[in-house]
Formats: sequence, structure tokens, C-alpha cells
Amino acid sequence: MVTIADYKGKVKPDWCPGCGNFAQLSAISMVLANMGIEPKDAVIASGIGCSSNMPEFINTYGFHGLHGRLIPVASAIKWANPKLTVIGYGGDGDGFFEGTQHFYHAAKRNIDITYIVSDNQVFGLTTGQASPTAAMGMKTKSTPNGNIEKPLNPLDFALAAGATFVARAFSGDAKHLQEMIKLGIQHKGFSFIDVFSPCVTYNKNNSYDYFRSRVYKLENNDKSDLLGAYKLAQELGDKIPIGVLYQKDEKTYEDYDPIIANTSLVEREPVKITEEHLAEFL
Amino acid sequence: MKNDEVIIRVGGAAGDGVQSAGLILARVFSRSGMHVNTYNYYQSIIRGGQSWYQIRASHREVRSQGDGLDVLIALNKDALERHTNPKINEGGASPLPKEGVAIMDSSMTGYKEFDVDYTPVPLGEIALKYSKNTLLKNTVAIGAAMGSLQMNFDILADVIRDQFGKKGDIAEQNVKAAKEGYDYYSQKYKKIKKDLKVSNEKRYLIAGGEAAGLGAATGGLKMYFGYPMTPASSILHFLAEHSTQYGVFVKITEDEISAINMAIGANYAGVRAMTGSSGGGFSLMTEALGMAGMVEVPLVVYEAQRAGPSTGLPTKTEQGDLMQVIGASQGDYPKVILAPRNIEELFHLTREALNIAERYQMPVILMVDLYLAEHYETISKPDLEFKIDHGKRAQDNQKDYRRYAYSEDGISARAIPGQPGLMHNEDSDEHNEFGDVVSDAETDPTLRTLSMEKRMKKMETYAKEIPPTPTYRADDAEYMVVQWGSTQGAVEEAIDILREKGLKVGGLEIFHIHPLNRDIEKKLSGRKKIIVVENNFSGQLNRLLKSEFSIKTELITKYDGESFYPEALSKEIEKKIGGN
Ligand SMILES: Cc1ncc(C[n+]2csc(CCOP(=O)(O)OP(=O)(O)O)c2C)c(N)n1
Ligand code: SF4
Ligand SMILES: [Mg+2]
Repeated sequence: MVTIADYKGKVKPDWCPGCGNFAQLSAISMVLANMGIEPKDAVIASGIGCSSNMPEFINTYGFHGLHGRLIPVASAIKWANPKLTVIGYGGDGDGFFEGTQHFYHAAKRNIDITYIVSDNQVFGLTTGQASPTAAMGMKTKSTPNGNIEKPLNPLDFALAAGATFVARAFSGDAKHLQEMIKLGIQHKGFSFIDVFSPCVTYNKNNSYDYFRSRVYKLENNDKSDLLGAYKLAQELGDKIPIGVLYQKDEKTYEDYDPIIANTSLVEREPVKITEEHLAEFL
Repeated sequence: MKNDEVIIRVGGAAGDGVQSAGLILARVFSRSGMHVNTYNYYQSIIRGGQSWYQIRASHREVRSQGDGLDVLIALNKDALERHTNPKINEGGASPLPKEGVAIMDSSMTGYKEFDVDYTPVPLGEIALKYSKNTLLKNTVAIGAAMGSLQMNFDILADVIRDQFGKKGDIAEQNVKAAKEGYDYYSQKYKKIKKDLKVSNEKRYLIAGGEAAGLGAATGGLKMYFGYPMTPASSILHFLAEHSTQYGVFVKITEDEISAINMAIGANYAGVRAMTGSSGGGFSLMTEALGMAGMVEVPLVVYEAQRAGPSTGLPTKTEQGDLMQVIGASQGDYPKVILAPRNIEELFHLTREALNIAERYQMPVILMVDLYLAEHYETISKPDLEFKIDHGKRAQDNQKDYRRYAYSEDGISARAIPGQPGLMHNEDSDEHNEFGDVVSDAETDPTLRTLSMEKRMKKMETYAKEIPPTPTYRADDAEYMVVQWGSTQGAVEEAIDILREKGLKVGGLEIFHIHPLNRDIEKKLSGRKKIIVVENNFSGQLNRLLKSEFSIKTELITKYDGESFYPEALSKEIEKKIGGN
């Protein structure tokens, strides 16, 4: 039996007390354990940011790569070894600035990975600049007179890219967060979960209270309704939905590609090149 | 012009089928047991412009595109004018000399501008006999060219049948058209006098990009990630086309940054993977290249240079990326850079690179250039036996596993995701033996120092196995010509020319760019002059050599987008020698 203790990393998280990332660390550990996935079969690929430090603090295989580049790493790991549960984990700056193109294309390809973004509307690690999801008017180190850029809507973006599982969660609601992560991992295809994750140090606007007073849980929404999901994604005012906005069963990239479909390349021997292969050069 | 070799050039506009005509001719020679070397002159357009394809063949080795021209096939008037005009300026290519023949359509019969043998053939007319359009005229011209040399027609017919294999009728139309061109020429004009020896032993004809792909496949490659960019597209296309046959997963990614990060992810997961691009794409890859060095993941990058800077000349060759590749990515990290000198070596070094990368858990960059990647050469039969070396691997459930254990040789045992009991974190941040970060809360100067030394130790270990630097006719050489990568053939042939003139010239051939073998200094010492030859503006290898060794050098460069031609190069070398 796998227990949450098996996932406990030996390095203690160095996030600020109260940081939203803690809830995600426990939720991921809990869900993996409850799903009976052994730590050896889980990989967490991350980028760079406070959130992206996660692989250091959890006992799985971890790859703490470059800012914005976790998605290509995670994708190729999955393609190389489909037996692994591959989770991509990083920040809003990481995923929606530097890594935007990778996010879009991984969603479009419907690669069977789960991408969780710790969305704190700010750059944490670099000590508080406006992130792509920062609200208009928000004052940060990089926007002392207030942010004059419209925020990016990650759910909208994921839906447009063709993600087959699009959800939102909130670090202030641990049980719901776990549920979302579990559904995301269970979903076969590209799962995207945007998690409101308060940065208690550099973002005083988007606090736990801010979200707690606004979020409401989606119940009985038609998850196959793409246009409905778009509408829900626009609700970012006084009421903000959390839950699964959209889900669709669709073939994955891996299903389409004959070389990796139903194959674990890591286990398969390389094809032996023979004289017959050489005939075309004669 | 040499009697024991032949040079044929097909000239026309892009879209005229210049290259496919050239390849048919090349194949006829390789199947006649001859050595072949081809050269492709083209532009970055799909239709129009002026392009040409040259085939040099002989029963002895031909190591470059060579000098001179025997047979010109001019597919349009512009080509006829360009290649028979003694003032041709296409980067060093020779115009058709007096003894040469120009095969052209009869409609151009009146053209007699220059002093060469114009030999009109009714290409269009014959073509129309066998097909409704004049597309077949290239085939007629190929037949005529083979007639001018009295090559065995049956071999040409076989090559044509293989080319159009699946379209039976079309193949036969082409064979007939070729035969008529062959006969027309043979009856109407004199055969070109050449002393060419043919044999029944067919030779393997292969392009650089193909040889790299084939080499990689025999070296256990299972995944290739790339984004199209000339001249790195040839390996991408080749592997994509052979994906099923070779069992290699090929993916065009959203950009080169993704390509290299994917290749790193795949290698991390335990699958041999490669990526490749030209200089522009490579510059996007550099951050990840350093990461591969930091997290100690094996990685092979195929870097195919074209003429820069920036978008530069997309279809032209150059060796201008040396400094960029050597200096790529921040910080110090272990890496190897190899620059194969010819296609056969490219085949071998590609799979060798995969082994080095995995044994040492570090990036290896294969530097080629457009010339090497895209031209064809005959090579000896590819050796299919190869031992894949996965290097040090950890045992499942190994006690006290340290992914980055400090070791004598700098190499530590890898664990692959899925292996029980070896979970750890691979980190682009500085880390200790376990992979735990030492850059954040507990920055540790001692551990940082040890980890840096651990990684760089691999370079010391590797230095012991760098192969000796090859030389060419160097024993008694008073003058040494130093070259790197694909210029080997032209430089060796230039040296041969100078040797025939009695000059004691030899060559030093650097295919191992980083780290440099320390034997270079010894091999160059005691010579009257050292002349470095490079296909770039500033002499990038020259700068490197001078910073690594105490040597005095002279420099010959070429940066017009074309390769060196042996004859012209020999003259430049002679000038440098003369200036004692
Ligand atoms: C190529 C590159 N550019 C910039 C940085 C500096 N950097 C590190 S983290 C970061 C932003 C972090 O913000 P986010 O991704 O939202 O993560 P958070 O810290 O908020 O969790 C930046 C810009 C970097 N490491 N690499
Ligand atoms: S700075 Fe913000 S995001 Fe970073 S650890 Fe502290 S609270 Fe978390
Ligand atoms: Mg953030």
C-alpha cells in the first residue's frame, strides 16, 4: 500500500509560511498515494519560480528544469515512457509568459500529462513583479504606477488551444483541490488545472480572503459544452467558478503516433539496422 | 583537366529538376563502381533563379567537388550562358573549357557565344514523343550525357526504373527517352576521351544528413526532435521518412527551445534522443544545452552551419558558428564538440557521439555545415556492428543512492524514472551529490565548489580518450595547412597539387574541436609555416588555436557561401608559402 508518507521528501519546503504552494504539495502527494501510484512511477517536471521548487520537496522522480520549459520536458518523458504518471508543475510567469507556446501546443497535441499551475498573479521568486495574470492597476515592483496590461485568461487560452481537461482550483480549499488533481491525473489527455495560490509576501491583493469571498464550486455544469466553458472562464469578477469547466474524450498524440502507441520506448530495443536497410543507398 | 575523372554539371532554374537529374547521374557512376562527389548550388527560392548540380566521378577517390568541367547540361539559355562564359563567378566553379561539351536543346542551336563545343540535342522534341509535356527533356539530356561518355546504358535504365519505380509506364517512357538521347548523341557527336575504369562493385551513395540519420539509428537512436531549418532539415526529413523502418519517433516541435528540452526529457527518461538545427535555431537552444551539462543528462545536438550572420544565406555553406558553439550557454560545463570531415566520418561520429554523451552524461555537439549535410558521396559499406554503451547505471533499490556521487572520474551512476528506490531530483540549480539544491536557503560554497569540480572532472577523464589529431602527408612537410570539418577534401587535394609542384606541404585535420587534443602543438612544431584554412570571415579556429597553443599562423578564409575549390586554394596556399 502506498501512503502519503512515501511521498514525503527529505528536503523541507522553503516557501514563506502561508504560501499557497504548500496546499498543492500536500494535495499532489495525497492524490498520488490515494491513487496507489508508487513514487518510482511518478515524475514531476517543473520550471523556475517559487512554485517550481516543488520537485525538491516530494519523493518522486523530479526534474527541475528551466524557466518556462517544463512542458517540453514533461511531454518527452511521457512519450518515452507511457507507464509514468507525468505532472508538470510551475508558476503563472513560467507557464504564461516564457512558456506560452509550449502550453498551447501541448494542449493542442493532447499529450497525456497533467499541467498544474500555481497561479499567484505575481512573480514570487524574483521578488514581486507583475505576472501575465496580474490584474489591471496592480502595483508591483515592475509596475509602480499600476499594471496597464490586461491579464491573460489561462482557462480561455487552454480551451482555445484544445485542452481536453480544463479546471480551476484554489489552494484555500484543499479537498476540492485534491479532487481536481485526481480528476486531472485520471483524465487521459492533456489536463490543465489553474490553481489560485496566494503569494502572501508579494501579492496583497489576491489574498486567501479575496478568493474565498469570490469562488464558488461548479456543480452539474455540462462539461462537454465548450461554449459554456468559455462563458464560465470569463467569470472573473465577484463570482469566480472553481471546478472542471470542460472535459472531452479524445485520442491523444501518443495514440496517433505508430512508434509510441502502446509502446514504451524505454523498454523497447532499438531496431536492428540490417543490410536490407542499406539497399536504398546502392 | 584530369583524364581519370569526369565532371558533369546540370544547370537550370529552381523547379526544373536540376537536383534529381544530378542524382540520377551520380547513381549511374556509383553503380558503375566509381567514387562520386556531388555539389549543389541553389538558392532559397522554390521556382526560378539559377541553380546547378555537379557530379564528379572517378575510379580513384574524389574528395571534393573538384576543378574543371567536362559536360554541361544546360536546361535553359541562362545556364548555357553562365557556364560557358569564361568569366563565370559562382564561388569558384570552373566554366566549361574548350574541350568540354554543352548539351542543350536544339532550339538554342544558334547560340555560339563562347569557344566551347555546343552539342544541341532535340531534347524537347524527343520528350514530346513519349509524353504530352516536355518534362521528360531532362531524361533525354541525361541519356545524351551518358552517351557522350559511353557509359553502360543498362545501368542508366536501371537507375531510371528505380527512380520512377512505382509508376511503371512513366518509368518505361523515361527509359525510352533516355535511350533516344543516348543514341542521338552517340551517332551525331564525338565521344569524350576519358580514361574511366568501371567495375561491377556498386558503391554506397549517401548524403551527409542521411549518413548522420543512419549512423544515429545504428547507434540506438529512438527519438529525434527538431524544427525545420536548412541545412539541418535533411536529417529531419530523412529520419521522418524512415521513422517506421528505423523505429525512430520524430517530432517537429513548436520551436527549437522545445526541441532541445524534449530531447533532454527523453534522455532523462532513458531513451536515446537527439535534436538538431542550424545556427539560428541552435542559438535558441543554448540555455538548455547548459542545463544538460548541469543536470548531467546525455544529449547529442546536430548543428548544421549555414552562412550567417542572422538569416544569412539559407542555402549556402559556411563554418561561422564555431565561436557560438564553443561559447554556448552561461557558466562552465562539460561538453564535447566534434566536426566530422566527410560523410563516412559523419556516419561513425554520430553514433559515437551518442555513446560519448551517455557514458559521460553530458552534451555532445556534432558540427557540420551545409556542404557536408547536403552533398552526396560514395562511402565504403556502412559497418552495422556497433556496441551501445549506456555508461554507469544505478542498481534498483541501491542503498544510499547519490545521483551525483563525487567520483574519481567525475561520472556518477544514473537512475531512470521507474526504477524502484532511486527517486531523486535532477536540478538546473546547483545541487549536492543527492541532487538537493544548494543554491537556495542553504547556499553552500564548499559543496558548490565540489559539484562544479565533479562535473568538470569529466573533461579530464575524457581528455584521455581523445583520438590523435589526423595528419595528411605531414611527415616531411615544411608547411602545414590546418583545417577543420568539411574542408578536408578540398584541402587535401590542394596539398596534392602543391606536392606535385615539389612543395613540401602537409595537413593537420581537426575533427575534435573541443576539447582540443594537446598533440596539435607537437604536430605543428618545427614547421616553416602554419596556414589555417577556414570557410568563415574571421578565422574562428585560428583564434582558438592561438589561444590554446603558442603558435604563429597565417590565415586563408572564404566566406562567399561556397566551399573551397582545390585549385584556387592551392594558389592561395602557395602565395602564403612564397611570402617567406
Ligand atoms: C530565462 C530566465 N529568465 C528569467 C529568470 C528569472 N526568473 C526566475 S523565476 C521568475 C518568475 C517566477 O514567477 P512564476 O513563474 O509566476 O513563479 P512563482 O515564483 O510566482 O511561483 C523569473 C523571471 C530565469 N530563471 N530564467
Ligand atoms: S514569495 Fe510568494 S510564492 Fe514565493 S514562497 Fe513566498 S509566498 Fe510563496
Ligand atoms: Mg507566480
